[in-house]
Amino acid sequence: MTNGDYYQLLKLLAPEWTVVGTVLAILFADLQFWRNRSVAWRSAGAASILSLGFAAAAGLLIWKRAVTADLLGGTLVLSPTSQYVKLALLGLAIVTAWLCTEGEFTKHVGEFVALIALATAGMMFLVSTENLLMVFVALELVSLSLYVMTAFNKRSPRSAEAALKYFLFGGMAAAFTLFGFSFLYGLTGSIHLPTIAAKISWHAGDPLTLVAIVLVVAGFGFKIAAVPFHLWAPDAYEGAPAPAAAFIASGSKVASFFVLGKLLSVGLPGVGGSGAWKAFSPGWLAVVAILATASMIFGNLAALAQSSLRRLLAYSAIAHAGYALLAIIGGSQPALLYYAITYAVTSVGIFGVVAVVENRTGNEDIAGLAGLRERSFLLSVALSVFVLSLAGVPPLAGFFGKFYAFAAAAKLGSSLGYWWLVALALGASCVSLFYYLQVLKQVWVAPVPEGQGKVAGGWVVSILLALLALAVLVTGAAPELLIRFLK
Amino acid sequence: MDVHAAHNAVTAAAPAFSSRPEDIAWFILLLPLLAAAGITLIVRRSNFLAATFSIAATVTAFVLSFVLFLMFGVGDAAAVTSPFAWLHAGELAVNLGVTVDKLSTLMLLVVTGVSALVQVYSVGYMHGDRSFPRFFIGLSLFTFSMLGIVLADNFVMMFLFWELVGVSSWLLIGFWYEKESAADAAKKAFLTNRLGDFGFLLGIIIIWAAAGTVNFAELSQKLGAHPDLLGSLASVAGLLVFMGAMGKSAQFPLHVWLPDAMEGPTPVSALIHAATMVAAGVYMLCRVFFLYQVETAWPAALAFFGSISALDIIGGIGAFTALLAALMAIQQNDIKRILAYSTLSQLGYMVMAVGCGGPDAAMYHLTTHAGFKALLFLGAGSVIHACHHEQDIWKMGGLRKLMPKTFLTFALGTAALAGLPPLSGFYSKDAVLLAALDNGHPVLFGLGVLIAAMTTFYMLRLVLVAFLGSGRSEAAGHAHESPGAMTWPLVILAVPSVMLAWVPLGDYLTHHFFTDHGHVHGHGSEVISFGATISAAFGLVNHILFEPFNHAPLPAFLGTGALIIGAWIAVTLYWNAERDPLPKLLGSFARGMRNRFYFDEIYEAIFIPLHDLVARLADWFDRWVVGGLAVRGAHGSTELLGRALRIVQSGNLQTYTFFFVAGVALVVLIALK
Repeated sequence: MTNGDYYQLLKLLAPEWTVVGTVLAILFADLQFWRNRSVAWRSAGAASILSLGFAAAAGLLIWKRAVTADLLGGTLVLSPTSQYVKLALLGLAIVTAWLCTEGEFTKHVGEFVALIALATAGMMFLVSTENLLMVFVALELVSLSLYVMTAFNKRSPRSAEAALKYFLFGGMAAAFTLFGFSFLYGLTGSIHLPTIAAKISWHAGDPLTLVAIVLVVAGFGFKIAAVPFHLWAPDAYEGAPAPAAAFIASGSKVASFFVLGKLLSVGLPGVGGSGAWKAFSPGWLAVVAILATASMIFGNLAALAQSSLRRLLAYSAIAHAGYALLAIIGGSQPALLYYAITYAVTSVGIFGVVAVVENRTGNEDIAGLAGLRERSFLLSVALSVFVLSLAGVPPLAGFFGKFYAFAAAAKLGSSLGYWWLVALALGASCVSLFYYLQVLKQVWVAPVPEGQGKVAGGWVVSILLALLALAVLVTGAAPELLIRFLK
Repeated sequence: MDVHAAHNAVTAAAPAFSSRPEDIAWFILLLPLLAAAGITLIVRRSNFLAATFSIAATVTAFVLSFVLFLMFGVGDAAAVTSPFAWLHAGELAVNLGVTVDKLSTLMLLVVTGVSALVQVYSVGYMHGDRSFPRFFIGLSLFTFSMLGIVLADNFVMMFLFWELVGVSSWLLIGFWYEKESAADAAKKAFLTNRLGDFGFLLGIIIIWAAAGTVNFAELSQKLGAHPDLLGSLASVAGLLVFMGAMGKSAQFPLHVWLPDAMEGPTPVSALIHAATMVAAGVYMLCRVFFLYQVETAWPAALAFFGSISALDIIGGIGAFTALLAALMAIQQNDIKRILAYSTLSQLGYMVMAVGCGGPDAAMYHLTTHAGFKALLFLGAGSVIHACHHEQDIWKMGGLRKLMPKTFLTFALGTAALAGLPPLSGFYSKDAVLLAALDNGHPVLFGLGVLIAAMTTFYMLRLVLVAFLGSGRSEAAGHAHESPGAMTWPLVILAVPSVMLAWVPLGDYLTHHFFTDHGHVHGHGSEVISFGATISAAFGLVNHILFEPFNHAPLPAFLGTGALIIGAWIAVTLYWNAERDPLPKLLGSFARGMRNRFYFDEIYEAIFIPLHDLVARLADWFDRWVVGGLAVRGAHGSTELLGRALRIVQSGNLQTYTFFFVAGVALVVLIALK
């Protein structure tokens, strides 16, 4: 390790520095200059600083988009794909920050926006490492920021409750992850993923290997809300401030899926086992197949019975975690990333609509959307695009996301061994249409309730929502536009 | 040597226009879409701006098409395509690309030209309609969809625009949706087309499965190298693709939608019937003609077809449609319906030409037909406008003096359609007949001559009854000439109706289709470039006017003879006639013709009970199996599960923790087994 290496490291991490600098700039501006301003002013100011800083970071990423690097024994691993994933994370964070301008859930909005930026920094480190220790540290940075964000509405007991559950649950999941990592280290003597990959296959049939895999997957299963590690999600989605929920559902998901996919396919390729029909053998493929099955069945069935829009989204997120796990099983990184990114864009969009509607009406139920078509045409159209995309209706992005994920799983193995999983996923998608259409029924069919006026978000949020809806439409109509960056 | 030099010259001169002609093609394609979007989003409330946007876009597209035509038609520039990847799904790679060659540039001219004139005309015809801007949105969308078909360089893209034409035709035919017959006609057109599209899609899938590509150029190349590439499905694939053309170009038995589509506003009829929708089928057949040049092969189940090729079947269907429609046209009394059946009949003619191995003749007839049929429809629209929306020709009469411009142009259009030399229709009809004769289809040739006589007969009947004689109703008596926005397009369209064939269009098309294969036929054995034509125009007038009679006297003289006979019978029967003498002469046959040989009734008798049966079965299935077993069953079990889950989702953190750990244990247990 020479000084030149450190200089190189600092240079390569320029986008991350910029993001961290943005955190400090927001805190400083908020503390120093804006103490006496209104909350609306402060949230817009903080979101503006974040947007500027992140735009600069994005510019650095685009400038160095062709970079490949592997420094300090896998601590920092950069590839064009990781650069594009970071770009997506920055975009999602910008939208989330602007959602803070909808609704005054706290007076300390500058700190909240700074936490968004801090979580983003964590996510960026998370996607650019192949070192287990670094993975864990970055994961904790993301998680702790998100816990605090969830608890940020101090006037709401539900927010505090949700955050406490999220935190304790997350703490336990982190313990499991760390325990799993320590087993991996014990088995292979390394925390470097490619090294682990080279050595773990000696222990392929070892029950200890499987325990390690299950423990690691359990930790990430918590982050992506896969059954049976999903129990925190409905409460957190419901109680958290809308921007926090949006970020949990979007940025955090993208980063976690990327890392889980990398961990399993780069770090543990030799111990996949099999989840094929009638050819079950222990390994992570089997574990992930079990989680996917449980998530798709449970998420969709539980969503059918929800009346709260946010809980519905939580169960839908659980179901979608199941679908995305199919892409991990299929071993197709482009399919996984296309799925995760388009899903994140859709989710952040839906939470945007939810934030605006809740802020103006105070109603958190699906019934609160009644007659939205007459109260805000833009929100209605955008919400319809997002919801139909979640349901997987072509030509929206959700359709191609599912298509690529399912196709990846179907193609795995020689004789369509995973057909049972794909068939289940298709069936589950059909079921999901029911509850998604319930939402749209309220928007387009249900009568406008008495005494309810127009609903309109701020102009920045409105533009962002329109752009997100357009992005869902365009990446769906021309999937090559996005997927060629992810290959 | 000369051709080579010309090629080089054009390649060198091309940058003077644009470095990339395909960019111009993209621009042409997108212009009408931009207009439609612009009207929808910005100027939806202004009649004037809506018409301006739409007409400006189409006229610009026409001018740009002309530029392309100069580059690729007059010059000998090689075909270019400009694809970009649209989607990859497994092994299916679909590009969005435009093909610019002799065929597509000619068709671009036809589509944008007719569309522009129809839009100008619509300003007059639709004046005062409360949904005026919506009409122009529809026209622009329609033009966009049609241009997409023309420029598509692969089957999937063509199919997409194919469906877009279906949708926009639905919007336009049902423009007056509050009128029940219009809404029904729109539905009928759409559904009948879907039937054909189903076959088209199957054909595309078969071709893709067998050849591994949907790109026209690649497919043509592959088929050239391996004529047996499609195996035993070659003819089936060809016929399935033809099913798409059957729907759009209204060939028997899918012809029933076209006459009903007359319920749309008359400019829509003109657009659909002249240059766009119905022409799409014929154009598609010409575009993929290479598909039909492979060896005939049938799968075992269809082996009884023996050596009958897909083209033979196509030719037969075309001829039958042409005959059937001509017979129906003879006994119609609605001015637009006569023209509708005439379109049907002429489309049959074109399809017959393709079936006889003459795509050049088919395109030739399509081009000239686009001109004079648009003229006839717009003329009919002018008449209807003047007679306060009276469409029965027996309630007109004597319009010759009241509407001199309309009459004169309409008469020219009629003469062109009837094939009077030296008007354009004569030459293209002659090319069709020659294609039949030259390629060994004497029966189709005979039918063609017979249909030519019938065409003259029913068109002359229309003119004699509606324009000559004396006014037979008050509306006809008070008719007046239409405004300039409506008559000028008539005058402009009269020019190509008369003179289009004086430029060597037939040779141009023959060159496009057959030079590459070293097989030149038709009356264009020597390739004449446009430049040479113009320079030696006077010398060539003589050559062109009488060339058919010298080169292939049989079809030329028989065609002219048929014209004279048809005209003679029409004049004998309808000169100053007060009512139709034919029903008395022909009895029940005439009734059959008038009632379209009861095709609609037959379809209704067969398909509606069948449809009802399927619907009842589906209803039963939905009510008891889906509704009862699946939905209620799922609901019941979900309810149960939901209650169980409610216990799980207690909000109690200790319980959650327990489930987490239990979950880990369970997963380990299952995975280890």
